[in-house]
Amino acid sequence: MRGFVVQRVPSVSGRVRNAAYAVSALVAVFVAGLLLAALGLHPLALGGSVLKQSLGSRFGVQDLLLLASPLVMCGLSVSLMLRVGLWNIGADGQFYVGAACAAGVALFGPHGSPLLVQITMGLAAMAGGALWIAVPALARLLLGTSEIIATLLLNFVARLGLDWLVTGPWRDPHGMAAAQTARIPDPLPKLPRDWHLGGLHWGLAVVLGLAALLAAAFRFTRWGFELRICGANRDTAAYAGMNVRRRLFQAMLLGGAIAGLGGMLELSGTVHRLQSGLSNGYGYVGIIVAVLAASSPLGCVFTGLLMALVLNAGLVLQTQGVPSSAALALTGLILLFAAIGERLAHYRIVPTRPVAGAGGVA
Amino acid sequence: MQPGELPRTVLPEAARTAFVRMRGITKSFYGARANDGVDFTLQGGEIHALLGENGAGKSTLMNVLTGLYQPDSGEIAIEGHVRRIASPADAIEAGIGMVHQHFKLVPAFTVAENIHLGWNETPFRLDPASLAARTQALSDRFGLAVSPGARVADLSAGEQQRVEILRVLARGTRILVLDEPTAVLTPAEVRALFAALRAFRADGNAVILISHKLGEVLEIADALTVMRAGRSVATGSTAGASRSSLARLIIGDTAIPATVARNETDVPGAQAVPLALRGVSVRDHRGIALLDGVDLDVRAGEILGIAGVAGNGQRALSEVLTGCVRPDAGDVLLDGDASGPRGAREFADWGVGHIPEDRLRTALAADLPLGENAVLRDYRGDAAGSGPFLFPRRLARLARRIIDDAAVNLRDSRIPARNLSGGNQQRLVAERERRIASRVLVAAYPTRGLDVGAVAALHAGMQALRASGVGVVLISEEIEELLAQADRIAVLFAGRIAGILPVAQADAERLGLLMSGQVLPEPVS
Ligand SMILES: Nc1ncnc2c1ncn2[C@@H]1O[C@H](COP(=O)(O)OP(=O)(O)OP(=O)(O)O)[C@@H](O)[C@H]1O
Ligand SMILES: [Mg+2]
Repeated sequence: MRGFVVQRVPSVSGRVRNAAYAVSALVAVFVAGLLLAALGLHPLALGGSVLKQSLGSRFGVQDLLLLASPLVMCGLSVSLMLRVGLWNIGADGQFYVGAACAAGVALFGPHGSPLLVQITMGLAAMAGGALWIAVPALARLLLGTSEIIATLLLNFVARLGLDWLVTGPWRDPHGMAAAQTARIPDPLPKLPRDWHLGGLHWGLAVVLGLAALLAAAFRFTRWGFELRICGANRDTAAYAGMNVRRRLFQAMLLGGAIAGLGGMLELSGTVHRLQSGLSNGYGYVGIIVAVLAASSPLGCVFTGLLMALVLNAGLVLQTQGVPSSAALALTGLILLFAAIGERLAHYRIVPTRPVAGAGGVA
Repeated sequence: MQPGELPRTVLPEAARTAFVRMRGITKSFYGARANDGVDFTLQGGEIHALLGENGAGKSTLMNVLTGLYQPDSGEIAIEGHVRRIASPADAIEAGIGMVHQHFKLVPAFTVAENIHLGWNETPFRLDPASLAARTQALSDRFGLAVSPGARVADLSAGEQQRVEILRVLARGTRILVLDEPTAVLTPAEVRALFAALRAFRADGNAVILISHKLGEVLEIADALTVMRAGRSVATGSTAGASRSSLARLIIGDTAIPATVARNETDVPGAQAVPLALRGVSVRDHRGIALLDGVDLDVRAGEILGIAGVAGNGQRALSEVLTGCVRPDAGDVLLDGDASGPRGAREFADWGVGHIPEDRLRTALAADLPLGENAVLRDYRGDAAGSGPFLFPRRLARLARRIIDDAAVNLRDSRIPARNLSGGNQQRLVAERERRIASRVLVAAYPTRGLDVGAVAALHAGMQALRASGVGVVLISEEIEELLAQADRIAVLFAGRIAGILPVAQADAERLGLLMSGQVLPEPVS
């Protein structure tokens, strides 16, 4: 008798998982197309214009990369904390605080060599981001307060604080706009012209470098191993002699610092001034980026690009008369299908009887 | 059979419809066949022992019977009717209930809440008093003493198990499956459990009992089935069986490992005391003393047995000896030195291995792959990297070697530790800790869940450590094991050392007296 059964496999290789994600993304796009068709639109034409505008020209690609950078940074921040089993819902707030600290240095700090200014801005932003998460971190470690709620609530504080800064004390005295500072004097330099990515700044290299660095730290250091054990089972980590609290605290502070640095890059590379709504929800999208990447830092680069494409698609669709909530729905669809795909990747169809003659030894 | 017990009615074979008849059950986990055409028959009114080596497929077969797994092929007949048991709810409906190898209670809930959780007879309007009253009634009816209002997290293993069994029996179970129920019980708790099982059987119900303790099997079981490598290889009545005949059935043609005897020779340098406690007290978070002024010397080249009924401070003792917990008072001396801030890491680096009592929650990260669990100690050593850096290739090689040496039956290091059979988890932990124990090994109930062969291998490993000058602390509830393995036996009672006997002066009776808190008639050395 031969038959087939569906079985669950305990572990899945990275390649299978990636394939599952790719298929899920396609399915999500397909379903989105069906929905658009149901709205009486032409999904193929719309899809074509999305692709043409995002990937069809050098400007489109540059825009995509610029949008992806903060998403990847927030994704890395969330990933690092997920590694120790904690949720950073507050990357948005840390991003804002980082940007504000960097702007403070740029606008009011001493003038020096451009490189020195950028480094100081980066350090200030990282310190700000780390400080912003230090309170939830300490509350978590000393009192057991949920980091999810605490980091989330601080987002609103950061956003409102920044609004106050840019409409109040730091408001550009000569500008027309109500809620922004003056341009910062020395922004991040652009990439060299002959790389044919003229619109992009050095922040992109920082993002990629940081992703590689984190990936290496996870894989090639004892510290990375300890983070993973602390994330899987804190009792086991303590039993094995790891300093669990210290590792959790380090991961949280570093996560905050990375999100803060993301804010600095956005400010100094792309926007060039502090303004209300600088983050546009990047911190929240970063959660999706990290989850889709299964908290792998290199994976975040790809899922960050994917999410940038999705957000861009939303903008393009809006210009074509599709409601803005449709883009949000598309994001949700992708997340939903990716989650389903990840689960399904664990299943295999196997024959119940071995091929005759394969030997009877169990 | 106990005197005064009713003789069981024996019907002619043809007239008896088996309670459970499983035929040709096959269940494979990708790449590995845990059950391979297993036949199993359970009659009403019998206690049926299911025996076999670690990883033989016993738990898997029972998970199939109770609807947790779906078999790839094969059929199950309950009282003559073929049934598909698609879920544990189906199993309960068919009168089958199981208590698992690893408890599945909710620790933060009370006993009464756990028993009423997910039960369709739970009253719609809940108040603690009526839940407690219902629980008390159940407890009286089945002869299993539990305290309804207690929080499960605060219960001893034996009490938790009674709750598990009560929870299952309350749902009208007629076929009770117990997966290694006695592994974590004190002898008194085992006696109480067996009395309850006999009463349950006398009502015409049936029990399937998975166990590695052959003495208990002979004592309580009427029939037995032996599994090996996923197949059932023998089945029959326990009448006329002996420990050694059972052991032979279980292990097969492989030579039966002789019970490892204590090595009587003294080890050179044996007078050194690598690890010692001086007036050590440990309190729990409520301020209750777990250990109270304990003095203890762990000598090099010696196996120090710790006897005592579980719950008398064993956990605190093993934690304090391994640096996992710092004493609230007193000193822990390493080579006679009490100075310096020291935690689990320093103790491990100094050469203290630790087999804790709760392997799945403490010693293993159950969701992580075997490989990472295997190198939980070695990742820090020079063999795995240098400075802050780790070399994944070397780490993988190390993991490979540890997994191979542990004789774990699953060789794929990417499989989560959770999917190992219970005994194989224990083997992995024991091997990992043996490797780092260059001075002292603290082993709490290390033979729990191990099959006959693996127990012998573990004892041989401890004797080898002793011969190489390592001090071994063996915490056990089995007096036989302690008398056979240890050089000295300390008895722990109510957080204090009630006495320390050289093995030559120890016997079951004296140890028993000390364990129950009585004072020995003559002075103890
Ligand atoms: N969920 C699972 N995924 C993969 N393999 C599994 C799973 N459950 C069990 N196995 C494998 O199936 C085999 C049989 O396991 P099982 O737990 O039934 O053994 P056992 O007879 O109960 O052993 P022990 O006496 O050690 O408890 C083992 O090799 C085990 O690793
Ligand atoms: Mg088992």
